[in-house]
Amino acid sequence: MAAKAETEGEVEEGKAGISTEQMTRNTMESIKSTVEDSLLEKIEEKEVDVAPEALVIGGGIAGMYAALDIADAGFKVHLVERLPSIGGHMAQLDKTFPTLDCSACILTPRLVDVGAHPNINLMSCSEVIGVEGSVGNFKVKVLKHAKYVDEATCTGCMMCEEACRLTGRFPNEFDLGLMKRAPIYRPFPFAIPAAYSIDAGTCLMLKKGKCGKATLESTIEAVKKVERGEEITKDEAPPCVLACGPNCIHHDMKDETVELNVGGIIVATGYDIIPPETMPEYKYGVYPHVINGLEFERYSSASGPTMGKMNVAGMPEPKDAVFLSCVGSRNKQVGYEYCSRVCCMYLAKQAHLLQEKVPSCNISVLYQDVRAFGKDFEEFYTRVKGEGLSYRRGLAAEIYKKPGSDRVIVRAEDTMLGEPIELEADLVVLGVGLKPSEGMDKLLEMLGVALTPDNFAKEAHPKFRPVDTDVPGVFVTGCAQGPKDIPDSVAQAKGAAGALLSLLARGKATIKPSVAEMEEALCIGSNTLKEMAAKIEEGA
Amino acid sequence: MAEEEEYDYTKIPPTGSVEGIAAGAPEDSPRIGVYVCHCGINIKMVVDVEDVTRYAASLPNVVVARHYIFMCSDPGQDLIRKDLAEGRVNRVIVASCSPRMHEPTFRKTCSDSGLNPFYYEMANIREHCSWPHGDFHKEATEKAKELVRSAVARSALLEPLEEKLVDVKPEALVIGGGVTGMYAALDIANGGYKVHLVEKKPSIGGHVAQLSRTFPTLERVASLLTPRMIEVGAHPNIDLMTCSEVEEIGGYIGNFDVKVKRKPRYIDMEKCKDCTPCIEACPVKDIPDEFNEGLSTRSAIYIPFPFAVPPAYTIDAEHCLLLKEGKCGDATLETIKEGKAVPPCMAACPGVIDFEQKDEIEEFTAGTIIVATGYDLVDPGVSAEYKYGVYPNVITSMEFERLLSPGGPTGGKIELNGKEPKDIMFISCVGSRNKQVGNEYCSRVCCMYLAKQAYLAKEQLPDADVKVAFQDVRAFGKGFEEFYGDVKTEGVFYMRGLPGEIYKKPGSDRVVVRGENTFIGEPYEQEADLVVLGMGLAPNKDVKSIISMLKLSTSVDGFLMEAHPKLRPVDTATDGIFIAGCCASPKDITDSIAQGKATASGSLLYLVQGMAKIEPAISQIDEEICIGCARCVDVCPYGALELDEVRHVMTVNEAVCKGCGGCNSICPSGAATMKHYRDRQVYAQIEALTEITDVGMLAELESAATAAVAAEASAGAADTGSEAGEGEGAETEAVPGAE
Amino acid sequence: MGTLYEDMVAYGGEVFGKEHMETLRECVQCGKCTGGCPSGRNTAFRTRKLFQMALTDMREEIFNSPELWFCSTCYTCYERCPKGVKTTDLIRTIRNLAAKEGHMSVPHRMIGVYVLKTSHAVPLGPAQMELRKAVGLDEMAPTAQKYKDQLEQVQTIFKTTGYDAMIDFDWDTMNLKGMDKGGKK
Repeated sequence: MAAKAETEGEVEEGKAGISTEQMTRNTMESIKSTVEDSLLEKIEEKEVDVAPEALVIGGGIAGMYAALDIADAGFKVHLVERLPSIGGHMAQLDKTFPTLDCSACILTPRLVDVGAHPNINLMSCSEVIGVEGSVGNFKVKVLKHAKYVDEATCTGCMMCEEACRLTGRFPNEFDLGLMKRAPIYRPFPFAIPAAYSIDAGTCLMLKKGKCGKATLESTIEAVKKVERGEEITKDEAPPCVLACGPNCIHHDMKDETVELNVGGIIVATGYDIIPPETMPEYKYGVYPHVINGLEFERYSSASGPTMGKMNVAGMPEPKDAVFLSCVGSRNKQVGYEYCSRVCCMYLAKQAHLLQEKVPSCNISVLYQDVRAFGKDFEEFYTRVKGEGLSYRRGLAAEIYKKPGSDRVIVRAEDTMLGEPIELEADLVVLGVGLKPSEGMDKLLEMLGVALTPDNFAKEAHPKFRPVDTDVPGVFVTGCAQGPKDIPDSVAQAKGAAGALLSLLARGKATIKPSVAEMEEALCIGSNTLKEMAAKIEEGA
Repeated sequence: MAEEEEYDYTKIPPTGSVEGIAAGAPEDSPRIGVYVCHCGINIKMVVDVEDVTRYAASLPNVVVARHYIFMCSDPGQDLIRKDLAEGRVNRVIVASCSPRMHEPTFRKTCSDSGLNPFYYEMANIREHCSWPHGDFHKEATEKAKELVRSAVARSALLEPLEEKLVDVKPEALVIGGGVTGMYAALDIANGGYKVHLVEKKPSIGGHVAQLSRTFPTLERVASLLTPRMIEVGAHPNIDLMTCSEVEEIGGYIGNFDVKVKRKPRYIDMEKCKDCTPCIEACPVKDIPDEFNEGLSTRSAIYIPFPFAVPPAYTIDAEHCLLLKEGKCGDATLETIKEGKAVPPCMAACPGVIDFEQKDEIEEFTAGTIIVATGYDLVDPGVSAEYKYGVYPNVITSMEFERLLSPGGPTGGKIELNGKEPKDIMFISCVGSRNKQVGNEYCSRVCCMYLAKQAYLAKEQLPDADVKVAFQDVRAFGKGFEEFYGDVKTEGVFYMRGLPGEIYKKPGSDRVVVRGENTFIGEPYEQEADLVVLGMGLAPNKDVKSIISMLKLSTSVDGFLMEAHPKLRPVDTATDGIFIAGCCASPKDITDSIAQGKATASGSLLYLVQGMAKIEPAISQIDEEICIGCARCVDVCPYGALELDEVRHVMTVNEAVCKGCGGCNSICPSGAATMKHYRDRQVYAQIEALTEITDVGMLAELESAATAAVAAEASAGAADTGSEAGEGEGAETEAVPGAE
Repeated sequence: MGTLYEDMVAYGGEVFGKEHMETLRECVQCGKCTGGCPSGRNTAFRTRKLFQMALTDMREEIFNSPELWFCSTCYTCYERCPKGVKTTDLIRTIRNLAAKEGHMSVPHRMIGVYVLKTSHAVPLGPAQMELRKAVGLDEMAPTAQKYKDQLEQVQTIFKTTGYDAMIDFDWDTMNLKGMDKGGKK
């Protein structure tokens, strides 16, 4: 083949101004020292047994799929989820792009599979609080928060929630506060585990030790009475206990800490949305007309606050709506330089759904690039434009109230026309971006995994090792590694499962030989650098 | 008719039940439970599910009818479980979405509660009703009732079936040795299982081996890829077959019988030392080098690139004089055998070259198959206005990649005819996002690879003017947006607007690119020495035989189709067969590797368990009736039927049979029937749908319908609208007696 | 003289630093600047387009356009630019480069006239003097507007630096050259 011969006599300068001669010499030195090192001591690779169990942290779609693959292969999986139910954000979505499948329809069977799988130990309302050990044998401490309801016997009948004194008082997190719940609740109807749980922060009995005339002591006693088949009165127990058929509410449950020994760990902690308040010029929270993309999903959902009708904040169906791209993302000023990857498509989908529900609505989408890159994305984008939506190139500059009206105005430049525009709207949807789930950084610290500059989890190599981390046996997947849509999350989750299965199937892991070694005879046994320095000074 | 109240679906409660007319039926009779799903609002928005529930309860054998907002959810499935546990029903019908969605879900619900899953029947009132007839609430509700009636009729005639298990051979087949196939193979091999990796070319590495650096980190590909290539080549569990193609695949999940044709290299690989005398000796030197995209030439005996794995030479039979014309110099195959005259290559390197080598067939059985056949670049000729092939200044992105590579035709220098370009223009979306040329899809990687190439161009030629003409910048991945910013800071200018055409600057060897700068709204004429076309990715055209061997589906865009675009991106419709990487849709290295590893996971699932389930709804031969005429063999596309010579009856290979029904239709004696789709079950459905009980009348209807279709076709009818809610419902012929 | 971008980096770089000026290249033409521009709302000034023209080296078109001077330097675009392009400072740099070549809008030059005549860009007028008297201050503030010898020194500075020539000032009429009493050119 045609390898170009080096030009003779010319000393070429490399980037750092080092001559090729010097570079060659450096390389020769490097080879020499490597050879010398290898002659010094025979280093053996150590092999350790791999415990045939896995830990998946995070019960969103990525965590679920990773857990299912490993469990289906016959290995035990511990799935730790912080919230009372698995399903993650995908459970909140109405329809998914580009197929317009209803999200719940494609998610729920998998929720049931995870909940029913004999190999999956599902722990919700739980958090990982400590990790020790290394590949093949990670000792993990999991804190299981008390649910105050016996998961095994609760039938999910809803009677307790209806009976509760504070029913309908507190914003339901799943609906982003657009619907209300009681302190004893289930995040959404198809939650898994299907059991109820009590939010200790809002329950009267747990916060104050009494609810009505009942005290904590009388309640515990009342529950025992019911077990024995005796009757109880209103004053002995709170309404929830009185209403509970299976008698499964126990206000005296305690948090529990369990220890696991697993061969490998997959981090799948997902995302939070970038708070729209980071762009105050968009007046989120000031005008009720302005909502974020996740709120749109809840309004659009059949199981949401308006059963799918687009009456946002109690207003009539919109006559004019504007969708804004890149809210928070691609924005150095507010601190999220990266692209959130899914917003172009979810905005197109939401605009389409709105058009379908309210055919008379005039819809505009403001964008700077349309990142319709995936399978069938471009076709979907073309279809959506063909339905009459107006795509206008230019990011919105600001939103203000139309004087003498209850509508708002979105001001931007249509860069294709080179003219500023003012779009009147009843509804403005902010295409908020994605950032790592709260607390992921602390979790990664526990595991010894670093962050990339965009604050997502650092993979071992951005191109060639997307699911491995620098810590052998610890993998990262889904939006914890970077924003991505459902198919890419599922593929990556299965990829992480594959990598971990490779380890579990083989049953053995090789430990890298080049690790630090302690010469016990020389060690002066100090705890901190400060102490060490003090000791050295003493001796000096 | 009086004005009816407008249908308001929000008034329908989340659930409800109606007792069926067969509530008191004896336990050993069919006791059907019908469960109507709202599917959120997908169904109830159009179909009055309460009405359908009431109607279902009035049908024969129905003991209870219920409706619920999400039947597939846990509380929904609980409705079924409870009825089964209490012995209220022994047949289950769910009227909801397509069986392709949730048949497995509800079958499991039944089996988990002790009911044979084949007592489960489904009525598709979403894809077949509420979705296509979105504007016709009344008619859709009536249709939903008919579909339920049909399901009820079949349900009473269902039989229990057993799911069989088959062994899974602890070996996998990976077709395609690019980066996706390599990583899939490595994960499975590291898990302790044998992998057969079949690659058509003489080396693995695929297109990634041709790249100089990767985005966004700008690392050298060679240093990232070669260690993995070597790992694959040296792995004790990987049986690497290069210069090989899959010839035949038979069998079924867990037991795929594979025949691989190994083409001869004519080189003894153990002895080849990877030196150069044979190349120098070979008289044929003008073959366009594929690895360098034809920018350089190679000999008939060659190694595709320096870091090829396996690290051995090959003789290209299509260009070697001895193999093509029978004679090279004085040498022929005979003279070689007789030891008289040898061709120059053998003279330069005795004892290594062997022209006697022949095709070899290797046969083995694999438990799972992964297809990772990658992509081809779209033919640059599709956009003739860019004059590729007409002006030497216009090259493809892959050709530019070879110019950038230190191992390439110019040793890594960007030059054309020995001259450094002063003005370089990169053009996006050539052959992609283009309905006119037939590729509507986005090729996903071009925005980023053009940014990378532009950056590297500016880095090497700081004084050159480097511009990128684009329409959107799809910098969506990790580190992409930041890289895009860096590229522009380096001085690469991004100009929005795809060029209209390229023409020669009169009296010069430069070209002119004409387009509109849409940010200013003014046309421009940009002179350039070098124009790089951002070619899109097309499906690998040589994969057609694999598609037919494996009965794979392709999407509209020509790429391989996955089982479900959201939740099953690497599975196919056939268990045990997976697709990954660019053969499924264009994607970059990171996403390809993730998918490759995902298929490893899918495979390991079967390999580790050592067994797989097979679908029981397949052909069954009634041996008492079968006359052994073997007409069914001719129509079976899967080769599942075989004649038992001794007993002169047909036998079915239950793992291969896919239950297509071909044998059933052709069997003259009625011996071949489909389990779970018996004739009597199908006729019951048709009768229920049309309320016609006379089989003869059905035949008349059939011929009337055929005639009507022919008449319409000749009249040139055009309407094909069938999108959910779009246009009118499908025109139905007036069917006598059926209303 | 290089490209407009190069000149901007060189000239503005001396005041703001090179990196500050180089942010211009990171512009993605999103249009948020124009969208929020109070001036652009009422005139033909298009902030985004100005940057695109700068990047495409449309020097003459920019220098000859009246719109260049319509920016009120309110810094709204500066605050909002997602890519952190130092918009306002870039515009000011372009204006400086334009002014050096003799392109400067009349209203901006008039500010110069006031400075040369009174040492104030916004001289004290009768209303301000009344206000000062009312609160017990001297009518005239102790600036060069009051002290003629100080004013002369200010004028010397401007003569020496050539500012007067740049704005085309006529010392005889104490106004811009070619300007009539009514302020029309």
